[in-house]
Order: sequence, then structure tokens, then C-alpha cells
Amino acid sequence: MTKKLRARTKLRRRVAGALALGFALIGVGAGYAVLVPQPQTAQAQQDPAIVREGEQIFNNTCISCHGKNLEGVKDRGPSLVGIGEANVYFQTSTGRMPAVVQGAQAPEKPRVLSPEEVDAVAAYVQANGGGVEMPAEKGAALRGDDPARGGELFRFNCASCHNFTGRGGALSSGKEAPSLDGATEDEIYAAMLSGPQNMPRFSERQLSPEEKKDIIAYVKSVTDGNNNPGGSPIGGLGPQSEGFIAFVVGIVALLGVTLWIGAKA
Amino acid sequence: MSTDKPEDLPSEEELAQMSRDELVKLGSKLDGVELVEYPDPWPVKGTRAEKRAERQVAFWFALSGLAGLAFTVAFIWWPAKYVAPGKDGDLMYSLYTPVIGATLGLTILALGIGVLQYTRKFIPHELAVQQRHDGGSNELDKATILANLADAGNRSTIARRPMIKRSLLFGGGVLGLTLTALPLGGLLRNPHAQSANAAGLLHTPWQHTKKGEKVYLRRVTGNDEISKVRPEDMDAGAMETVFPYRDTDTHEDWEHVLHVGDSPVMLIRLRPQDGARVIKHEGQEDFNYGDVYAYTKICSHLGCPTSLFEQRSNRILCPCHQSQFDALQYAKPVFGPATRKLAQLPITVDEDGYFISTGDFIEPVGPAYWERKS
Repeated sequence: MTKKLRARTKLRRRVAGALALGFALIGVGAGYAVLVPQPQTAQAQQDPAIVREGEQIFNNTCISCHGKNLEGVKDRGPSLVGIGEANVYFQTSTGRMPAVVQGAQAPEKPRVLSPEEVDAVAAYVQANGGGVEMPAEKGAALRGDDPARGGELFRFNCASCHNFTGRGGALSSGKEAPSLDGATEDEIYAAMLSGPQNMPRFSERQLSPEEKKDIIAYVKSVTDGNNNPGGSPIGGLGPQSEGFIAFVVGIVALLGVTLWIGAKA
Repeated sequence: MSTDKPEDLPSEEELAQMSRDELVKLGSKLDGVELVEYPDPWPVKGTRAEKRAERQVAFWFALSGLAGLAFTVAFIWWPAKYVAPGKDGDLMYSLYTPVIGATLGLTILALGIGVLQYTRKFIPHELAVQQRHDGGSNELDKATILANLADAGNRSTIARRPMIKRSLLFGGGVLGLTLTALPLGGLLRNPHAQSANAAGLLHTPWQHTKKGEKVYLRRVTGNDEISKVRPEDMDAGAMETVFPYRDTDTHEDWEHVLHVGDSPVMLIRLRPQDGARVIKHEGQEDFNYGDVYAYTKICSHLGCPTSLFEQRSNRILCPCHQSQFDALQYAKPVFGPATRKLAQLPITVDEDGYFISTGDFIEPVGPAYWERKS
């Protein structure tokens, strides 16, 4: 091999190496920009008018238990710093807040605040306390297209408290995991994100948005009267109620048939 | 055998002459039965009512056959694959179970009704009177049979042949014991024989089998994604179920681990204000990683999954018998029938930021067994 040729290949190697490095750096930068999630910090980017309206509503309905600066009031209500708009959305849109009495847990009841008021209070709490935000999508867009996978995730993460078809169940000391009938997609998503009351929280990194949407698709496919091929779920509690009904109906039917067989023609 | 035979048994010629009706009557009479009433349900043949009854029975049998055909067709061709509500074909799918149930049910029911209707319409409803036999055998029979048995025993001379008696007792006894041992022996088993690990019940799939091996905490994602848990994945007040995973594990190994009873572990991240109040168990002070604690999901009472974690009261509740464990006090039982704490898995984070377990549980997981002291 001549000296000249060797120098040329060396030059080519260097140029190729520099190009590869450049591409790799650009690729990493682009990947970082695309893949790294937005940090979940308090971002007061809400419309100031809505935040002010939210403050008004907060001062009228929430302040006596949650305090002037969201710091909470001892023996009345917890601090709202860091709970985020997802939590506010869930608690108020399901009517749990404003609460009527202190108890083991706030029960679901007809909502007091209108959807606009809910959004305003959520904006106010988000602007002043920070915390988990609601997803950008709303309603049916939060319903995934793989309810089978959602079902598997539901059984691993949710079914131990909410029952495998979302009937709900008892917890300790008078608390309960509610039935999921009638819960909207936004409420389910907000509950998973914010962990209202004693429910554990499922961050976007623990259950990705796709996984949450599949779970919602599964919940929607087994609640609100769905998944009842027989016409009635008989409580949806499993073999006890079904066995009881089968026994009673079966015995009565057998009695009837026996009487018919024994009757004179 | 009956001893009070009627005197007037027919001779062979008379027997050959008798009609079927007479033979039936004679047979009943010999058994002490008298037919008082034995009407033909349709004395006049070919009436409209008889034809209608015939058609009725035939209808049920035909219906049974048609329903059976419908069941076969539905069972093979009706769409049985799950369709989510609101999607195309959802109604057809939701009707699958009712359709095969109704058609098969109708097949059996119609066949039964047909048979019963046939009995009710066409089989004569006879009225019979049968003589009752009183008491046991008569004295003569009793005395002779006893004598017969005693004679057989005496003539066998077994009573005065002790060697034969003892050898028979030995042979028969051994056979009897063997036959008893067969069903009972199956109940005696080494409880550790089917365990995956050398020390059986003392170890779980979290056991490190090689030195320096990394056992990750992997979550279930419902697909083939390998999702190893990192500390920042969990918000404060989060709980998730994780299973042991090694980088060398194949898909089959993972499937196996998912189905081993003592592998699921609850990974709990406490809220910071609660994490400050934790009381740790002696000898397990460094088992947690910050506010993240890993407890077995298997209840120490009877082995149910205790995965009802309440993130504000920090209770871990078992749904089977309402045992409650306090996550702030090394998961010790605070309510219910459980008497032992949930075993805690020692965890830390490796240089790449993934959770790993530093070893197996140091106490047995799950309910008591007979070698276990407490």
C-alpha cells in the first residue's frame, strides 16, 4: 500500500467519525426533546381571570376546612398544597367535595359545583399549590382500544379493592372502595393520577397514559350494565350470589316438575 | 323363594295354550299381585283425540331435535370471541352464552317433556294390589340353615389346625395392611419436594442463585415490554406489584415466576410525612430504600393476596379475613387473625438507577407450616 493511499483512508476515517458523532449528538438531543416528560411542577400558566374566579369559589366553599392559603385546618381538612388539579377535579366533580360531615371517608353525592366552577377551583389550586395536572385529552379520547390488556392491568393494580368488574368493596374501619359504575373517563383518569382519599397513586411512569387508557376501556366495558350476557349480574360478586340464585331457582323448578310428573294426566 | 305357592299351577299343555293376557295375569298372581284396574287409555283406536296426543308427543321430540341442531350450529359458528361494548358485533357476541345455553337447555327439556308426555298419554295407569309378606323366615328354615353352616365349619376341621389358622392370619393380615397403606401412604409427602428451591418453603424466586447476580423488580405491563421499576416511577403514596427478574431470564422464566405463589411483592412508597414516622424491625433496618418498602403480597395468615393498600392510613388489608398490617411498623399485624408480620424484601438501587433486591426474604413467606416455630 502506498503512503498517499494510507493518508487518504485516514482522512476519510476522520471525516466519517466526525459525521457519525455529529449525527449521534443531534439524535440524542432530538430524542431528549421528544422523550423526556415535562416536569410535574407548579406552572401558573392558567388564565388569571379563571384563577381569580376560582379563588372566589374557594373562599366561599372550601376555605373553612382547607384554610386561607391551602394549608389545611387542623382536625377539619388536609392541606391542598401539592395535590394538583387532578385531585380537585375528581373530588368536586364526583360531589365528594365540598364535604357535608367528617367521616371515615367523604361519600359520593350529587355535585355541588358546576363544571365551570370545578375547572376554576382546580385552576386556582393548581396555580397556588401545584401538583398533578389533568391530561390534555378529555372524555372518550381517554378510552384506549385494548380492553383485554386493560383488564390484565386492572386485575394487577385495581381489582384487589374495586373487585374484578369494578363493583367496589370494603376497606378498613368503615372505609370503602367505591363501585366504578357511572364514573366518567376523566374521573377514572384523575383518580388514578391523584389517588383520592386512601387510593394509591399511579403516576404516568408507573402506569403509562396508554396503560391508563386501556384500563379505562376495560372499566367501561364491564360497568354501567355492560358485560351482562345473562341479563343481570346478580351483584357481580362472583359465585356466592350466582350459586344462591341457581340453588333457589333450580330447587323450585325441580319441585314444579316433580309435581307435574306426579299429577294425574 | 316363596313357600306359599298356589296349588293350581298350570300343566305344560295348559301353559302352551294360554294367551299373552292370561300369562301376564298368571305372572302377577304368582308374585302375589292382582291387577284391579288396567284400562287401555285409547279404547277406541284412531280417534281425533288420540291423533292429537300423538302429534303432541312428536312435537316435543321434534323440537328437541331442532334445538339440538341449533345448538350445534351456534356452538360452532356463533361469534364467541370477545368484542368490547360499543364495537361492531358486540350484540352478537353478548348473545353467545344465552344462545348456546337456551338451545342446549331446550334440547334436554323438550326431550324430557316428550318422554313424560308419552308416559302420561299412552302408558296405561294400572291399579294393582300386592300381598304383603309378614315377618322373617319360618322356624324350620332358620333351624336347618344354622345346622348346615355349623356342619360346613366342623367338617373343614379348621378349628383344630392352629398352624393353618395362624399362617392364614399372617397372610391375610399383611394383605390387609398393604391395602390400607396404599390410600393412606399417598397422604404422607415431603412438603418441600415440589419447591423450586433447595430449601423449599424457606426460599422464594427472589433467592439469589449465583454470586453477584442482579435480581430486578419488574412490573406487569400486559404485553412483552420489560419494565423494570425505578424509584422515580412511583409517586408518594403509590403501591405496585412487582416480580423478580434477571436479565438472563427468558419469556418462559418470566411466565413461570408470575405463577409461583410466593413471588409477588408489594412495592410501597410512603408519603414523606409518613416515612418519617416509620418504625423498622430489628435486623431489617436497611431493607428499605428511602420511603420505598417492599413487603410480600402473601398474607401471613392463610396466604391470600394482601394488596389492599390504603395510602393515607398506611394500612395493608387482606380481603379474605380482614387482617390488617401497618406499613409504618414493619407491616406488623394490627387487626384480624394474622399473627406474624409480612416478610420484608431487602431492596436497593443499582448504578443504573433500577431497583434490585439485595437478597431473598430472611423469613418464610406466607402462612405457617409444621416446622415453623411461630
